[in-house]
Amino acid sequence: MALNGIQIFKLTPKKNCKECGCPTCMAFSMKVAQGAMDISACPHMSEEALASLSEATAPPMKTIKIGAGAEEFTLGGETVLFRHEKTFVSKTRYAVALCTDMDDAAVDAKLAEIPAVDYERIGERMYAELVYVNCGEGADAAKYTELVKKAAGLGRTLVLGCSDPEIAKAAIEVCKDSKPVLNGADASNYEAMSAVATAAGVVLGVSGKDLNELYDTVAALEKLGNKNLVLDVTGGDIKATFANAVQVRRAALKDQDRTFGYPSIVNTVKVAKGDKHLQAALASLFTMKYGSIIVMEQMTYAEALPLYGLRQNVFTDPQKPMKVEPGIYPINGGVEDSLVLVTVDFALTYFVVSGELERSGVPLNLAICDAGGLSVLTSWAAGKFSGSSIAKFIQEQVEPKVSCRKLVIPGKVAVLKGDIESKLPGWEVIVGPREAVQLVKFLKDM
Amino acid sequence: MLINRIFSGNDAVYGLTVQAVDNAVVQYGSDKAVGFPNTAYCLPCYYAVTGVKVKTLGELKEALGVVKTLMTREHALDDALMSGVATALCAEFIEALKYLDGALPYEEPCYGHLADSIIREMGVPLVTGDIPGVAVILGSAPTSKEGVDLIKSYQAQGILVTLVGGIIDQAQELGLKMGYNLRIVPLGKDVTSVIHVVSVALRAALIFGNVTPGDAGSLITYTAERVPAFVNAFKPVDDVILAAGAGAIKLGFPVISNETENIAEVPGALIPCPEVENFNKVSLEARNIKIKIKNIDIPVAFASAFEGEIIRRPDMQVEFDGSRVDCAELVQTRPMEEVEDHKIELIGPDIDAFEIGSKQSIAYVVEVAGKKMQSDFEPVIERKFHNYINCIEGVYHTGQRDMLRIRISKDAYDAGFRARHIGEVLYAQVKNEFEAVVDKCQVKIYTEPAECTKIRHELAIPAFDKRDARLETLTDESVDVYYSCILCQAFSPSHVCVVTPERLGLCGAVSWLDAKATNELDPAGPCQIITKERPVDEEIGAYEDVDEAVQKYSQGALEHVTLYSIMQDPMTSCGCFECICGIEPFSNGVVIANREYGGMTPLGMTFPEMASMTGGGVQTPGFMGHGKHFIASKKFMKAEGGIQRIVWMPKELKETVAERLNKTAKELYGIDNFTDMVGDETVASDPETLVAFLTEHNHPALSMEPMM
Amino acid sequence: MPFNQKPQKFNAKINTVTIGSGDKTVTLGGDSSFPFYTFDSESENSPKVGVEISDMGLEGASEGIKAYYEGAVTMADIAKKAAAMEGADFLALVLEGGDPNGADKSVEELIAVVKEVADAVDCPLVVEGCKNVEKDAELLPKVAEVLQGRNVLIMSEKEENYKAIGAAAGLAYNQIVGAESAVDINLAKQLNVVTSQLGVNAQKIVMNIGSAAVGYGYEYVVSTMDRIKGAALSQNDNMLQMPIITPVASETWGVKEAMASEADMPEWGPQDERGIDMEIVTAAADLAAGSDAVILRHPQSVATISKMIKALV
Repeated sequence: MALNGIQIFKLTPKKNCKECGCPTCMAFSMKVAQGAMDISACPHMSEEALASLSEATAPPMKTIKIGAGAEEFTLGGETVLFRHEKTFVSKTRYAVALCTDMDDAAVDAKLAEIPAVDYERIGERMYAELVYVNCGEGADAAKYTELVKKAAGLGRTLVLGCSDPEIAKAAIEVCKDSKPVLNGADASNYEAMSAVATAAGVVLGVSGKDLNELYDTVAALEKLGNKNLVLDVTGGDIKATFANAVQVRRAALKDQDRTFGYPSIVNTVKVAKGDKHLQAALASLFTMKYGSIIVMEQMTYAEALPLYGLRQNVFTDPQKPMKVEPGIYPINGGVEDSLVLVTVDFALTYFVVSGELERSGVPLNLAICDAGGLSVLTSWAAGKFSGSSIAKFIQEQVEPKVSCRKLVIPGKVAVLKGDIESKLPGWEVIVGPREAVQLVKFLKDM
Repeated sequence: MLINRIFSGNDAVYGLTVQAVDNAVVQYGSDKAVGFPNTAYCLPCYYAVTGVKVKTLGELKEALGVVKTLMTREHALDDALMSGVATALCAEFIEALKYLDGALPYEEPCYGHLADSIIREMGVPLVTGDIPGVAVILGSAPTSKEGVDLIKSYQAQGILVTLVGGIIDQAQELGLKMGYNLRIVPLGKDVTSVIHVVSVALRAALIFGNVTPGDAGSLITYTAERVPAFVNAFKPVDDVILAAGAGAIKLGFPVISNETENIAEVPGALIPCPEVENFNKVSLEARNIKIKIKNIDIPVAFASAFEGEIIRRPDMQVEFDGSRVDCAELVQTRPMEEVEDHKIELIGPDIDAFEIGSKQSIAYVVEVAGKKMQSDFEPVIERKFHNYINCIEGVYHTGQRDMLRIRISKDAYDAGFRARHIGEVLYAQVKNEFEAVVDKCQVKIYTEPAECTKIRHELAIPAFDKRDARLETLTDESVDVYYSCILCQAFSPSHVCVVTPERLGLCGAVSWLDAKATNELDPAGPCQIITKERPVDEEIGAYEDVDEAVQKYSQGALEHVTLYSIMQDPMTSCGCFECICGIEPFSNGVVIANREYGGMTPLGMTFPEMASMTGGGVQTPGFMGHGKHFIASKKFMKAEGGIQRIVWMPKELKETVAERLNKTAKELYGIDNFTDMVGDETVASDPETLVAFLTEHNHPALSMEPMM
Repeated sequence: MPFNQKPQKFNAKINTVTIGSGDKTVTLGGDSSFPFYTFDSESENSPKVGVEISDMGLEGASEGIKAYYEGAVTMADIAKKAAAMEGADFLALVLEGGDPNGADKSVEELIAVVKEVADAVDCPLVVEGCKNVEKDAELLPKVAEVLQGRNVLIMSEKEENYKAIGAAAGLAYNQIVGAESAVDINLAKQLNVVTSQLGVNAQKIVMNIGSAAVGYGYEYVVSTMDRIKGAALSQNDNMLQMPIITPVASETWGVKEAMASEADMPEWGPQDERGIDMEIVTAAADLAAGSDAVILRHPQSVATISKMIKALV
């Protein structure tokens, strides 16, 4: 049972020394309770208090870091099973697979394909962050290392799929500075694999023929002192893989079974057997349900556009709506003298409104006002989308760039019309429809 | 006397039916098929009431025996009404005989039996209220014109009119167009043809109400509650008609008649109404039929797009200004009989009489009546006036109560807008939006300055004072139920507000009265009743009922909530809170920050930081979101000792609540000028300075029991 | 020490609702676990896949979809081909041409299409309105009437028109009612409550809790479905135990990712592939969150999603 802020506060020295960086012990305690700070940040905790607190405040699922520098990613650290309970914190990361079984041409084609997908969506860079390099049956250290080297050339964080400790050792030598994941420990080799991973300072991926074997292997690795793990939950088929992914996460978060408190790897290549559409479907399924790393054969725009959109949505704070950058967004080739429509910076509003405006085919300027990322009525009620804020935004941002002096406001804030008109001399303020779906007709009738 | 007449009418009809059936058996034999065309329900009325299908003359004969058993002769109302049902069933049998051998007994314009498909088709508008009612007009009106006027009055309201007897000839005489598409259905000229509309009502119960045939109890409940039919019977009303009328009454359909001889009123059921021109009004009221207003009869547009329109002085035809002259707007609950629906009265000169650009007095009183109306809803309705009047094109409204201001533009005036149109808008909007509680509504508009003064000072201000006094005396203890509010669950899924008289929603926008009105107006909506019958600990405001409600409406995310404690299971917050209070351990009290306050608090946290750990429907002991109004409540963290725990508030907030807070402190603890003891950002924004300040001012929290 | 498996058992289940008549019916709902949690309890009834066709024919359809329907001229031809799609469990006819702001087809015209389609196929049918609440209130009762005996699912019953559509479909003509709300658990519940209060049997209601394409506010869809399934199963809330049907295609084929031509966005690659994956990824996510049925357009999507469902149950 997690402790609340008051319970933690009782154990603090109550000195308000500010050495933790917080102005008061109370503020510090609340942050620890939220998981925003670690209890060890307080230098004045008694040994006893620290011991009891670290156990109680330790997260049920470990946060594991992979990669280095700009390509470092955080996996795990989740506290809930459903996003409405609290935010999912660590995004699913997608890995494109290479294998020693592929011929050179195929490998080169894949290596050219991977960096082709690299774009931005609502302030987030979208690209395949990881490359999974699989050591096929019969490949030797030289062949595998060669492939790993080639893959490393992309500058992406690698996941090495290799269960032979000797081959792994050779391969990891060439890329260990970029902190790859070494995925290949199982019941038969975990000691040797753990030694390789620990020596190289990288995260070890563990698998098992079923959940019991996986559980025992993790327990054994923890006993060896290795808690820098990810769990490869890929099973014999799709059904088993899904069952593993869900049960591992649920055991950790719901039943507080810390042995399974690690991020997961789901390898769709193994279970979707060359069906790229099925892989896309599975990537979606495991983005929803508990895949930390998802391995796929390809990540072209066809897969990336929907998957990254899904991921961006699922991994948002349910209480902090997504925002778009305030500014002028020309639509359908809107120019200087095109009509201006204003709305809020709530991402969903922006998407719905811009979608409808695009459908209208009319060249327009969509002005997005800073409204704290709230919807029209909410921001209006909160005073963040008011006559003055709209007028100020139009004067500062729009007037210098746009010559049209007609402004359409959302129908839900019709009440602002007079206010805006009085603050924006020279502008004609037009009340638009209440719902975005009515925009096409509204513009047609205008 | 009435009962005897019903019995005698019933006996007469039964006798005729026995004879008719016997004759038919003799003529055609017992195996002869009997039934109506285009229905799956053989002899629909009899089937609906008994669950038995009648398909042959022999079975019809047996059915007559069953009917006989309904004809008990105790001198009691229920026996009379059952005899009414028996009369109706006899009528069905007589009508069925007309259809023997595939005969087509009815010809233009009469319909006779109505097919199942018509009922299915008609059922939808009946359910949606597009057909608000079904009138059954029986007999001949005193004059043809009166009869046709009555039909037309119903037709204009969208009511389906069925005609039986002489009225059909009268309608034809005056050339009235009839037909199902026009919602006027002549059934037949014999009185027995009235059964065809009863058959519609009963089949509707089977089709739309899923009533099991033979389950007479559910059948009658359905027709009474869901089939908005009523009967208008013209004199002379003989025993047979009276017996048939008794059948209608049993189904829940009131009978309105201009017959005054040998008849007695049965309230709500048999209603004498000497003037035919009043039939419509009396019938609608008796059956509780509300006519939806689709178009507001005003010469300018009415839409929310005009809500933000501002009328500037040069564009203004006239202005009513409560800050300069006497004005008032008021909703008053009246007894049913004192309200004439849609009456709009102007007392004083119209706008034409006013000089352009002048300031005038206005007072408008919206008088409402309704079976479910409560005076607590008056302010809820009244608060909407601002929005209603602002939606009129060319009219602008600000303020409320006796401090209102209305401007009417020259354009609106030129378009024909006059004072009564304000009444039209208020009438239409109140009736539409408050349909659940307002049955009738009339509006009085005063423009005569002396009248306005009178209304303001003698009617409005006392009413406002009374209301405010009621709010003052409304305590958590004085009410039997609280309300849940889950308006915010869209973004805060597990949050449930428990709204009590002394604790309004934490957004500050939903009071107990608002929640109560929301519940009445929208029973399946966001505000639901929470009982408080099973207290666990009244001191901290813990109730089993409240816990159950919170569990239910949070879908299990919350188990327990106390109403008056911030330490033990405090109420959750969605994120809309006006303020947050948080425990400040060094001074043994709480700090309150309001949303507008941007600075640091002695907790070492800003409002946004506090909000991040309090919102989202999670319980955070020691922290709680609440409305500004709640700060001066006697229930504010009552479990921890109440408002004397407040040690710090931003200056601006302190000033806003000072008067009420000081009053409460004086009342509860005898402390004068309590807010002087409370710190703010000008004296402290860290705990040490705050404690020093509190010590200096001898703040009561310092000597209270430790909070944790 | 082996893993201590703790199955999550619920004493509640999602209602089963059967659509269609005769030999060809399809049943939605029935499970008493979260979607595909077969390790908690065996799935009684797998989610179903419908194929969407429109009264507007193939107007605006992607190249791949047009290719599949090649040779189909009449609505009857289209309906037959759609019903024959690999993995299809039912057919969903969208009467989008009725929209007064669009093609504004008359009710009679649309009813003729409904009849033509219904006569052409014997598979279970779902009919969606044109999204205009007034028009739907007029149109869908007629649809319910002409399809008497087919036990079809009449969608698009909304808060604004639930009386007309609920009474016609659910009461007068004994069809299944598809209650549509806007991605909010309380709105969904409220619509179910008022529809039941009309007299419609709760066992004859299917919910469309609203949908979105992934990337377009989809987080609300996920959370609403998660919460509805949670309330239905763990709280045994019988006003949320209706199975969920999600029209996926109408959302995903309208977004930029699926609509932008390859000429406009050369780096994005073939348009059809983007449309398919948009549809597949959204549908898979809907099913993972709790949809008991999804409605798709592209034959490749239908086949893939159907394959995924079979692999999971």
